[in-house]
Amino acid sequence: MENGSCNETFNVFLALHRPLSIHSNRSTCLFLNMDGVILGADTRATEGPIVADKNCEKIHYMAPNIYCCGAGTAADTEAVTDMVSSQLKLHRYHTGRESRVVTSLTLLKSHLFSYQGHVSAALVLGGVDVTGPHLHTIYPHGSTDTLPYATMGSGSLAAMAMFESKYREGMSKDEGIKLVAEAILSGVFNDLGSGSNVDICVITKGNTEYLRNHLSPNPRTYPQKGYSFSKKTEVLLTKITPLREIVQVIEGGEAMEE
Amino acid sequence: MGDSQYSFSLTTFSPSGKLVQIEHALTAVGSGQTSLGIKASNGVVIATEKKLPSILVDEASVQKIQTLTPNIGVVYSGMGPDSRVLVRKSRKSAEQYYRLYKESIPVTQLVRETAAVMQEFTQSGGVRPFGVSLLVAGFDDKGPQLYQVDPSGSYFSWKASAMGKNVSNAKTFLEKRYTEEMELDDAVHTAILTLKEGFEGQISSKNIEIGIIGTDKVFRQVILTPTEIDDYLQEVE
Amino acid sequence: MSIFEYNGSALVAMVGKNCFAIASDRRFGVQLQTIATDFQRIYKIHEKLFIGLSGLATDTQTLHQRLMFRHKLYELREDRDMKPETFASLVSAMLYEKRLVTSICSLTVFGPYLCQPVIAGLGDDDKPFICTMDSIGAKELAKDFVVSGTASESLYGACEAMYKPDMGPEELFETISQALLSSVDRDCLSGWGGHVYVVTPTEVTERILKGRMD
Repeated sequence: MENGSCNETFNVFLALHRPLSIHSNRSTCLFLNMDGVILGADTRATEGPIVADKNCEKIHYMAPNIYCCGAGTAADTEAVTDMVSSQLKLHRYHTGRESRVVTSLTLLKSHLFSYQGHVSAALVLGGVDVTGPHLHTIYPHGSTDTLPYATMGSGSLAAMAMFESKYREGMSKDEGIKLVAEAILSGVFNDLGSGSNVDICVITKGNTEYLRNHLSPNPRTYPQKGYSFSKKTEVLLTKITPLREIVQVIEGGEAMEE
Repeated sequence: MGDSQYSFSLTTFSPSGKLVQIEHALTAVGSGQTSLGIKASNGVVIATEKKLPSILVDEASVQKIQTLTPNIGVVYSGMGPDSRVLVRKSRKSAEQYYRLYKESIPVTQLVRETAAVMQEFTQSGGVRPFGVSLLVAGFDDKGPQLYQVDPSGSYFSWKASAMGKNVSNAKTFLEKRYTEEMELDDAVHTAILTLKEGFEGQISSKNIEIGIIGTDKVFRQVILTPTEIDDYLQEVE
Repeated sequence: MSIFEYNGSALVAMVGKNCFAIASDRRFGVQLQTIATDFQRIYKIHEKLFIGLSGLATDTQTLHQRLMFRHKLYELREDRDMKPETFASLVSAMLYEKRLVTSICSLTVFGPYLCQPVIAGLGDDDKPFICTMDSIGAKELAKDFVVSGTASESLYGACEAMYKPDMGPEELFETISQALLSSVDRDCLSGWGGHVYVVTPTEVTERILKGRMD
């Protein structure tokens, strides 16, 4: 079983199939303060056919003005975004300037390229910097795209269908949020790898809004009442260890007389 | 390293048991510009004088107080270039700690890491000790903290401390003015007054630097307006 | 057969009101042959922090030793107990280290520790914390319960039905025990009784459960 089982283990990794969809409402006019990027994601994490987490977070922090959605192997997306976010922070200390989206893009793609696709992170990177709003997709092998709207993950086709039919240039913030949420919802309801809630992140010049569980269209349909067990569980041995008592020191009170 | 005939440590014991290189490093610190720090009941302040070699230097390009993590700041006395190496290494080790534990590094741990680097440079081959002393100000779960780290790698926690050219005067002054109940605002005041002791020329917002950290646990530089400085200086009476 | 099913295991942790419980089965087997029925899968890190390691037994024991080492060093260096959240991040970082083929001292390591941890602890203000992760350190935090091991699928079902929020320590014990026992009865590779820890701010209660022996 040596070799066979070794390979098999790689299939057990918790993979997040997620429709990560993103959308930038980049208008063509030059009023940069009207511009921004909207990121969206569902909140289902799967392990094979099992739902491992019903409400996970897939929109990762990169810098105050840059966030990143991750699809693929959960540990990889988490690790790679954490690592780059830490490099960006040190870079900000050095330069004293806001991080740029292209900097994060280059750091991410060069890491992924150097691992030849073995780090399975498929990312959608979005942010607003001194040069304006940006939206990129990054594939596990390190190739990248720059797009006005993009989707990634197992629900990407469902989400892209919404974008292709409803996206137009110069959308307002509210229209943008609505479209991104709709795209995620189409993944949630039509793709089995995606599900639960909708997270949204809106980045505009000088402002970031993280809307965790912006929509919760899948509440529990049965009560969480539990059971009361009439018959006690049969216990063979019980050992009770008292913990150290916490000593409280009460200061103040009446001062002692001299 | 190890193949050159000069790759042994330059810091070797003298027959009397002293490490002369470290004493020379301390001398370099002692002739540096004065810096000081005061721990108040609700925060810490660090301050330093910023004397530039010529009026032609753009004072905005010189920053002597720097941020290590959002809740820890540092100031040095001694050689500027040496301090930058330590700042870079400290920021990196703070970031490594954060990536391992997803928790910001406690002040004591960062000071220990930085001190360990300084110690290593007193014992390694082919290097010299750092010509700086650091004052590290931070605020974490254990409250406000002020540490001084010396070229030898030794470090102490202080209620108030000073280093650089006017150490002894400044320390005497701090000993007189310091009280346990002092609040951050009083501490800033005392810091400016202490800097004024032995300051050659007129204090202005351009030739001193001040950094504070309060209960919000965010370290920040304070840029005082000329009127604020005047107010602080006039309050003496 | 996956290498994760070589020894067989069942692990579950649940949150109650100001308390938590963590439970495991007691079987140690090699495929379908049972070797021992008093196997330990849950380890104490400090008084209010426990870790359960499911998966390949040899890797769980090695990982446990390394975790104890790292925790003891942390305690000495920082003079405090680790918070559960901090410990979870440490475990995650140590697992991810072995994500890809690495080499240590001219030895080549092919892949990760073959285990899936469950971490449960009481944090500041005795707030319960539970989490699980996969073998390469992807953390999954939960408010209610977490499961892992060969019986994880049946545990998901049992816990989803039996769990309710804000249980006291006694009720929590009954719930977690019944969830564990009913789940391992549908798993050939785990069982032979259970080992349950219930931790409240004042005491740790450790109980051995009687279960089927087939």
